Amino acid sequence: MNADVLIIGGGIQGCATAYHLAKSGVSVIVLEKDYAGRHASGVNAGGVRLLGRDIAEVPLSKASMQMWQGLDKTLGEDTGFRRRSLINIAADDADIETLRARQQVMQSAGHSHERLMDQQELREALPHVHPSCLGGVTSDLDGYAIPYKATLAFKRAAIRAGARFMEGEELISMRRVGPVWLVQTRTADYEGDTVVNCAGAWADKVATMIGDQVPLSHAAPMLMITTRLPHFAGPVVGAVSRQLSFKQFANGTVLIGGGAKGFADRARNETRLDYAKLASAARTAIEFFPIMAGASINRMWAGLEAYMPDNLPVIGPAANADRAFHAFGYSAHGFQMGPITGKVMADLVIGGICDFDLTAFRIDRFDRKTL
Amino acid sequence: MAFDCAIIGAGPAGMSAAISLSAAGADTIVLDRAPRAGGQIYRSVADSPLADVSLLGEEYLQGAALIEAYENSGATHMADADVWHIGSDGTILFSRDGETHQIQTREILICPGAMERPMPIPGWTLPGVMTAGSAQVMLKSDAVTAENAVFAGSGPLLYLIVAQYLRLGVKVAGLVDTTPLANYRSAMHLGPSALRSWPMLHKGLSLLREIRASGIPFYRNARELRILGDQRAEGLSFHSNGRRDIRSDTVFLHHGVIPQTNITRALGLDHVWSDIQKCWHVKSNAWGQSSSPHISVAGDGARISGAEAAQSSGRVAAANILTRLGRINLQDRDQQCRLDHAFLAKQAPFRRFIDTLYNPAPALSLPEDPDTLVCRCEEQSVQNLRDGFDKGAANPNALKSLTRCGMGPCQGRQCGPIVTGLLAKWRGISEADVGYYRLRSPQRLLNLKEFSRFHALSAQSDKEAAE
Repeated sequence: MNADVLIIGGGIQGCATAYHLAKSGVSVIVLEKDYAGRHASGVNAGGVRLLGRDIAEVPLSKASMQMWQGLDKTLGEDTGFRRRSLINIAADDADIETLRARQQVMQSAGHSHERLMDQQELREALPHVHPSCLGGVTSDLDGYAIPYKATLAFKRAAIRAGARFMEGEELISMRRVGPVWLVQTRTADYEGDTVVNCAGAWADKVATMIGDQVPLSHAAPMLMITTRLPHFAGPVVGAVSRQLSFKQFANGTVLIGGGAKGFADRARNETRLDYAKLASAARTAIEFFPIMAGASINRMWAGLEAYMPDNLPVIGPAANADRAFHAFGYSAHGFQMGPITGKVMADLVIGGICDFDLTAFRIDRFDRKTL
Repeated sequence: MAFDCAIIGAGPAGMSAAISLSAAGADTIVLDRAPRAGGQIYRSVADSPLADVSLLGEEYLQGAALIEAYENSGATHMADADVWHIGSDGTILFSRDGETHQIQTREILICPGAMERPMPIPGWTLPGVMTAGSAQVMLKSDAVTAENAVFAGSGPLLYLIVAQYLRLGVKVAGLVDTTPLANYRSAMHLGPSALRSWPMLHKGLSLLREIRASGIPFYRNARELRILGDQRAEGLSFHSNGRRDIRSDTVFLHHGVIPQTNITRALGLDHVWSDIQKCWHVKSNAWGQSSSPHISVAGDGARISGAEAAQSSGRVAAANILTRLGRINLQDRDQQCRLDHAFLAKQAPFRRFIDTLYNPAPALSLPEDPDTLVCRCEEQSVQNLRDGFDKGAANPNALKSLTRCGMGPCQGRQCGPIVTGLLAKWRGISEADVGYYRLRSPQRLLNLKEFSRFHALSAQSDKEAAE
């Protein structure tokens, strides 16, 4: 099969890229080894967060946040997005100090979306927070979406615009022959002028096929969700320095994350949970919000996620091949970036340029000069 | 220090295995959710609230002897232990007394028992509709019965509870038997070989005779079942030589039993679809070993074969585990298991006969009315699932992610078999090719505080805790 562009990976980055390319009239095939949204994009915590981003990511994340506000309308689909604001709680004086320093950095870069809260404001926004918490920082546009729905929304919109999705198609090989990329899967051969690597936790393997080496690692961030509770938290909640992160959905269930990692078994497509660490996340949740002591955990899971050493994604052209691009390695905060990634990748593929400075995201930023 | 073997479930299979393992000196722990050993079938037989327990039948009484032998076996028994995680690394987590405990074991024997096959007729989720199994639990644990109830469905357990009700003098509004006439025809030619298990066959026939002799309304070949009532059950409507309605506050449904596979699923063990029993079986060999050699399964949780066979399969699995632990050699194992293997072989034709006779009617296994709920926890109807399927969610996990079907507290126990069946029907492929939900621990709801109190216990301290 032939297409102008072959996208490897049907996560939110791949689906959004397919959507933007197809909208521009480019013929696209997405090759997905499982099914779209099977891994990190479909099972993550759903946080749509601008707060606390690395300064290098802020311009992209800001643009993405604007897109999220009207995404359901744009795609003609339900992504489950709800704007709820996000609050990172400061538990002690050290946290307050961290927030002040951060505020200075953000202000001197001209960013004003993060707003400090004192103890009184924190308690008004989160009446059930432990009274010892001192304050926090908030971002108004933040919220959450339903990960699988959002990924599927991009996929369905992409298909309506003409993109083709081939699921269950795992890459065996990919090489550039003359002016085309030849891609082989277990069942078929594909040909395209351009390839885009959105393969998430498997992206280093795809990068190697393209000709780029990248120090990608993978891990399994763990999540747990409770049964329905009476509403006690409107905003999404995080913490400045503790492993605390949760959100209460409209149906009353509470999703608890916090960054504790299980065991990632990439070769077998599997994750295992580390229950002692999850138990510690449970303790933290109860410490900050005593009301949660009575909650019942209904499900626990983990997804396979790709990490870069500096926790920043790779976004941009390949270093060692023509007509190849990368968008992966979002290090557990890529879901919010999906919409803008799709736009940026489409711009790069079609015109070779985009509206953002991608220097911090170059694939060869870890290349070493050897003796 | 770790245990040699941990057994999950103290029903006939688990108790029998524990007796064999302990007798051979293996350090064995049995984790059971109930306050007293016995499993579903022998629930409360040792401390029955009923004045005359013999009315529940001879088979039930036989359980008392097994429980006694088990309680004297020397195995560490953990009552009220709610196992919510088993890891393939031999880690087991369970809740007990408001805390989370962790143990380590070399070998794992899983005896989770059976559950009732969901019977999603219109109105099956209304208050007042229960399963025959829950009628049994109420009767055995609390001596509670429901006056003037309708019993509907098919299979030996349905006839047993009706007979028990009649013996206790409880008024029964009717028995609505859904066994299709065609099943009698297909089972007929299996009859002669089933005669080898005459006592069991005889037992079943006597139950039916007892019910017929009682004179309660008994309808056969019933189809198109529907619960009457909007807010709660007001009766049952069905077709059996014409449309009939029976008025009643309580309807007990039963449609056969299937293995509980949530634990074995969460362990990532291989499962196979059984076209004969119309359910998933965890894949296991003649010794009960699963696709992970140190994890074995026995009893109705492995495949439905009844309490006697469960005891045999428990002993067989235990003998094999003893060879793996280096306590007996292969010759001894084979010698020890000769009688049990012979029994299992002998009762196979009878089981085949029962499976054929009570093969679930497709119309009762898969809901046909678009408004019928499939997922009770998340209130997802057939139509909701069909919409998700039409959006591209073609496998159980994608459908779960999109519709929330199977995300509720029952962990998909109720909707899982139906979802597989519906997708197989819609896609025109086999259940085996559709597959099943990807399941995770916890096996049941876990209180956050209970979870946060996390203790790792050694074999020694666990024994002390049990005493």
